[in-house]
Amino acid sequence: MSRSTSRGFLPAQICAGVLGVLCVGFAPLTLAADSTAVPEGPSIGPDVAAVEISLAFRPKPDPQRVGYYGFGETATPAMIAGWDIDVRPDGRGLPPGSGSVADGEGLYEEKCAACHGTFGEGEGRWPMIAGGFDTLTESRPEKTVGSYWPYASTLWDYVHRAMPFYEPQSLADDEVYAIVAYVLYLNDLVEDDFVLTRANLATIEMPNRDGFFVDPRPDVKNVACMKDCKDPKEIQITGDSTELGVTPVEHFKGEAEAAGATAAAVDPNLGQNVYQQACATCHKGGLAGAPIVGDQAQWRSRVAQGMGVLADNAINGYQGSVGYMPPKGGQVQLTDDEVTAAVRYMIENSSD
Amino acid sequence: MSKGRHEPADILSLVAEKANSLPLPERRAFLLRGLALAGAAAAGPVLAAVDPDDALPPNIPPWTRSLGRGVVTVPYGVPSEFEANVIRRTVPWLTANNISSISFTPLPELKGIITPNGLVFERYHAGVPDIDPDQHRLMIHGLVERPLVLTMNDLMRFPSVSVIRFIECPANGGMEWRGAQMEALQFTHGMLSCCEWTGVPLSVLLEEVGLKKGAAWVLAEGADGAAMTRSIPLEKALDDTLVVYAQNGEALRPEQGYPVRLLNPGWEGNTSVKWLRRLEIGDQPWYQREETSKYTDLMPDGRARKFSFTQETNSVITFPCPEKPLTQRGRYEIEGLAWSGRGRIRSVDISLDGGVNWRRAELKGLVLPKALTRFSFMWDWDGSPALLQSRAIDETGYVQPTLTQLRAVRGVESIYHKNSIHTWRLAETGEVTNVQID
Repeated sequence: MSRSTSRGFLPAQICAGVLGVLCVGFAPLTLAADSTAVPEGPSIGPDVAAVEISLAFRPKPDPQRVGYYGFGETATPAMIAGWDIDVRPDGRGLPPGSGSVADGEGLYEEKCAACHGTFGEGEGRWPMIAGGFDTLTESRPEKTVGSYWPYASTLWDYVHRAMPFYEPQSLADDEVYAIVAYVLYLNDLVEDDFVLTRANLATIEMPNRDGFFVDPRPDVKNVACMKDCKDPKEIQITGDSTELGVTPVEHFKGEAEAAGATAAAVDPNLGQNVYQQACATCHKGGLAGAPIVGDQAQWRSRVAQGMGVLADNAINGYQGSVGYMPPKGGQVQLTDDEVTAAVRYMIENSSD
Repeated sequence: MSKGRHEPADILSLVAEKANSLPLPERRAFLLRGLALAGAAAAGPVLAAVDPDDALPPNIPPWTRSLGRGVVTVPYGVPSEFEANVIRRTVPWLTANNISSISFTPLPELKGIITPNGLVFERYHAGVPDIDPDQHRLMIHGLVERPLVLTMNDLMRFPSVSVIRFIECPANGGMEWRGAQMEALQFTHGMLSCCEWTGVPLSVLLEEVGLKKGAAWVLAEGADGAAMTRSIPLEKALDDTLVVYAQNGEALRPEQGYPVRLLNPGWEGNTSVKWLRRLEIGDQPWYQREETSKYTDLMPDGRARKFSFTQETNSVITFPCPEKPLTQRGRYEIEGLAWSGRGRIRSVDISLDGGVNWRRAELKGLVLPKALTRFSFMWDWDGSPALLQSRAIDETGYVQPTLTQLRAVRGVESIYHKNSIHTWRLAETGEVTNVQID
């Protein structure tokens, strides 16, 4: 298949043209690299299954084609080392280093708790990362690191590449080890004297490591009935979206029905809602020098400047001695009124 | 129009009237002076409200009696100001903030099968980075003979291909597993777009670097603040995966991965990694966050499906819909979109009675594999209430299932891959509501 591509054809076109369907004739649902995978679900016929991509496909490379175009420059080991940050379940990719639960506690409090909660319970809509054990079969399951994630390597990789949310790839390797150790501790997976290292990370067995299997779709077989397919008297309307009224509709519903929009303008919870969405990332935990909501000592001198000054700083941005407030906290889609409402909410919750 | 002040249109009509009475040699100079005068009067915003009666026959509308904007007044064209309603929208409570969030394409307003670049739905995990293409590199390494670093110029020297393919977030419709809650088509199905994409087949790049024995998976990584990653099995990578740098004839939009992204046709949009900076070839998957914690489908028994890549056959009626109700009895063209991650759409059926009886719709225009396909059905509406449904069948014979069938196998907690037959309730008033039926 790949042989033809370097001669200027798109593989899909060849497959569609020659075989009539996508030319993927390999047995589906096998996964050589992961023998724990168990295919599941009813088959609905070979014509459908035949187009599924095989995870077991192995190409036979043609050395004649290597370097045919000769574009680009060689990626040197040093260049690769700087960018190759991924970590696999077997621990491959981990850098030297270590971190203890004790070290992780302080780092977590400083860098993670504002969104993920002191105990990993998650603030607002930010992800819950601890607990939730034995909820995967329940209504509204809690998919946390402990209850759901199959490998500890994924946690190290993700914290290192993308956390903290507002400052990705800012953590030193030892800090990542420490934070990961602490998150594992929050999930009761290690003891409080645990030290996570490059050597022991891959040996940590996550509770849900066997909880995944390769997608068996197509898993449902409908038939294209055309006439008298069911008894009209038995049709029940089981759900009506308008009963909930939770989506924006003012852009297409008339004035009379846009009462919801009017209500939003005088919504007594506007300040709190904007705060939760736009401000809490920094102002809940004190990130980037932000005054913490509820900490009256931090707010007293600021409130003394007056609501007008604070709202103006929040709307237009402000460089203070301890931190920087971006205009509207970076949420430039907010109206000035929304920002002002959020400032008022924060002051009300940080004053006597 | 006020009589006391000279509008550009008035000036021009006066100029034209006067010019016609002059001898030909003098007419040209006179006209030029008149145009300059009219231009000065038009210097301000000319989008004054027009009294509808002034524009309708037998009256001559003001835009017919005046000049419009000259070339490059707007060097990069934008839609008419009267189309201000045709925009991406979000549902704010879906996510904790708008940096790691999603917006929806305004499907009710779109024609044909191509999504304009500015309306392609957005999905960011760490916001849109502003990447200088001269400072961007694509690294290919791992189990390869010749690890490479490519500039954008290098990448564009490879022979290119262009294909029309949809991209759909696997969470499209995912808010409806438990029941109907999105009140608009834009929100029930709008994590969906279709563009012409131009780039290099990944198979060409993988041949160029030379795969080593044992190569089985490709890790794709973005250059955004999430450095988003997905593991792609090599069979897909060598089949129809592209490394694309253009959409609908121009460079990728920043929202869509400028300067370069992966495109895995027919697969979960999340695998089409944007702002692509690195491709690593390995012998097993990496089990990254986006293929374990997210983008896995939890089943009722507490186990979860992984590598659920394919976007299965789906369809929805786009007219009428909640945003576009029927306004009176009479003849209508019911229209909609169908798509399959496994290939072409073979046919689409329409039901007006909640799935009791079905009739074949017509496929309009291009019918391409893994692309949006538009269908049409002419209908005389007599004002009776109706339950409108569409049911797509793709070239593999797969028939779009009912929600009841999906729930029977998957429960309601799997978030992703809800591709069931959708129901609009049409009321006697012409109003259309998103409902679920059993």
